[in-house]
Amino acid sequence: MSVQTATSPTTRRFDPLACKDDLDAFRAGVRAWLEAVVPADWHARMTGASEADYVAFQRWWFAEMGKVGLATPHWPRDWGGADIGIRHQVIIFEEIARAQAPNPDMFVISLYHLPATLFGHGSKAQRDRYLAGVQERGEVWCQGFSEPGSGSDLASLRTRAERRGDVYVINGQKVWSSYGAFADYCLLLARTDPNAPKKQAGISYFVLNMKAPGVTVRPIRQATGQAEFCEIFLDNVEIPVGDLIGEENAGWAIAQSTLSAERGLIIFELSERMARTLDADLAEAKRTDADWLKDDEARRAFTRAYNDMVALRLMIRALMQEIETDPHMGSTTMPTYIKVHFSELLRRYTEFRLKLGGLAGQLRQPIVLGGGHQTGNVMHDFLLSYAWTISGGANEILKTMLAERALGLPR
Amino acid sequence: MSDANSGDGMDLEALRDGVRTVLSEQASHEKVAAFTNAEGVRDRPLWSQAAELGWLALSAPEDHGGLGLGPSELAVVYEELGRAVAPLPVLGTLLVVEALARGGDAAQQAAWTPRLAAGELAGTVSMLTPGVLAPTLTLSAGADGGVVLDGVAETLLDGAAADVLLLLAREGEALRWVLVEPAIDGVTVEKAATVDRTRHLGVARFAGLALPAGRVLAADAGEIADALLHHAALALASDARGGANAVFEITLDYLKTREQFGKPIGSFQALKHRCADHKIALVASGALVAEAVARMASRDPAAGRYALAAKALATEVYARVAQDAVQLHGGIGYTWEHPCHLYLKRAKLNEQLFGGPAAYLDRVTDLLLAAA
Repeated sequence: MSVQTATSPTTRRFDPLACKDDLDAFRAGVRAWLEAVVPADWHARMTGASEADYVAFQRWWFAEMGKVGLATPHWPRDWGGADIGIRHQVIIFEEIARAQAPNPDMFVISLYHLPATLFGHGSKAQRDRYLAGVQERGEVWCQGFSEPGSGSDLASLRTRAERRGDVYVINGQKVWSSYGAFADYCLLLARTDPNAPKKQAGISYFVLNMKAPGVTVRPIRQATGQAEFCEIFLDNVEIPVGDLIGEENAGWAIAQSTLSAERGLIIFELSERMARTLDADLAEAKRTDADWLKDDEARRAFTRAYNDMVALRLMIRALMQEIETDPHMGSTTMPTYIKVHFSELLRRYTEFRLKLGGLAGQLRQPIVLGGGHQTGNVMHDFLLSYAWTISGGANEILKTMLAERALGLPR
Repeated sequence: MSDANSGDGMDLEALRDGVRTVLSEQASHEKVAAFTNAEGVRDRPLWSQAAELGWLALSAPEDHGGLGLGPSELAVVYEELGRAVAPLPVLGTLLVVEALARGGDAAQQAAWTPRLAAGELAGTVSMLTPGVLAPTLTLSAGADGGVVLDGVAETLLDGAAADVLLLLAREGEALRWVLVEPAIDGVTVEKAATVDRTRHLGVARFAGLALPAGRVLAADAGEIADALLHHAALALASDARGGANAVFEITLDYLKTREQFGKPIGSFQALKHRCADHKIALVASGALVAEAVARMASRDPAAGRYALAAKALATEVYARVAQDAVQLHGGIGYTWEHPCHLYLKRAKLNEQLFGGPAAYLDRVTDLLLAAA
């Protein structure tokens, strides 16, 4: 497959952001651009595609989004974004879902976690260098938080960072780093003070260049059969002191900003896709007069899920309004409510579709790479739902945190 | 809910504070318990208070003694009544007001609406459900252009407290809404006690009851029924939202103070996780209820579907939270003295009033399919 075949050359130039003062025109602009640029056959081409083809496709799609400013429209204008608000973001996500456009999966950390970290805590030099790298060169970022011995108990992490002159020397091991094999940089947590009275107090936050000597990446095959995750081995890796984010030993608090991105904005897009899927599933059932529409239990399970999906979208809109008021969304608990609600609903709905799939749903089918959670390969979609109940803080950890911080229950 | 003139709404938070303050004194758990122990049908002092404060006048048209407000204001009152598990027949009364505003002629509105809005009369309506309208009453032609009512209406919400019954009856192939005033018409509404003692059901029997023509609403009965069902759905969803949050707060307070094994039981993770689940469900269902209210207030074409969905979700969440509240309290939560059972019983009744969860889900599915 060659990436260049993705679209026929077009003479039209698209600039939906130019008409962002008129919401209808903006929507029409986004829609026209998507209709012109999203290859009609991309699902078919990514079904069972090779890893190299998938990576090339991701890079191509990210570049296309960037050309019209729709890769980073949610970033502030000062840092190369378009400063758009919630109403525009809703339109973009709705239209992306409507067009069944690809997920820029490989760039999730670049688009959300990196800015959520640097906006509030990075230096100007860091923002200038790394945000531009994402926008201008399509740099891929991964996250180096978890370790083999530090999952839910993240603060117990043992990867060491020792200051030696102008560098920190890193030794340790990271795990569950999505797209680590293709990443240019990594958001890294490492221990700078092993003697701190609280384990959270001895952690610092770094930018790790994945091409630096001493970095070894090894893919991990997941239950789905894909190898999106990686282990990262760090053997005397040197990080310049300029790549320390924030103060030394202040990394724990910064990491919370990173994770809040995961619990909010990313789910926004996924929830729009989920809404689209539920509508499409119902329309398909109506068109084919599906058996499950006559099955009381199944029909009611669907509508319960539908109602929960509507509630999810409302919660996300409430969050977007909070963010417009307070861009750093420091103390809000809404992202955590959203993450747990979304992930449990995703599990429930993918399992619902799996049940409807019957025995045929158990047949092994090629995976649509980058197809997200609603590829119609029901067993794969179901397995992939664990990505959201486990990652970004397992739901059990988040529930304990909610109970203590939001509900005030004692430790 | 009627949305006439709701453009200039009142300050909802001020309304909420006002209602909550009054109810915290006049419908404290002690007073509600005393009312339920006395097996009454209407808490007269509380009703008078509600009338004086204008809660019953909120939605009535301004030219008939009301404030002409809409779903946003009503939802606040219903939610606060739910928080307090208040024993007030507000819903039935405001449903009659809504039906008159939508389907009553000038004479009918003048005859009943001002007195309902002033709390001189309490009302109730036939127990609609989201399914096919199947009235148990029949209407036939009577003398002097009047009508004759026959049959039994079994499940009138707070019916024994009602001075005005708005009943759905079949007249040949057509459906009609007809008004009965028990005191004037010589009808007795028997109380059918529910386990939730803050409310009850009423049974009214009619055998050839002659009524003047002015008792029949001329407007399309199906349209009125839809409006009443949506109003009832939003009211019960709001009651559920208020009640669920209240019983959850009571439970959290208990978990923070009750000590076993030398520490507060709220420090145990098994209980924390259940509370977190409840909180998330409350946030999610609360968002859906608020959206349904907002859509009803703005006359959104999909508002009805949102109201029905909100009723299904919010009443189920209330039932789940109230059920677990008793369990999380342990023995004390199972006692008559503790308010937990008031919430549990009201939650369970809410799930069934004006149709159960399955009926609501099925109607929502039908509406989604029609739009798919």
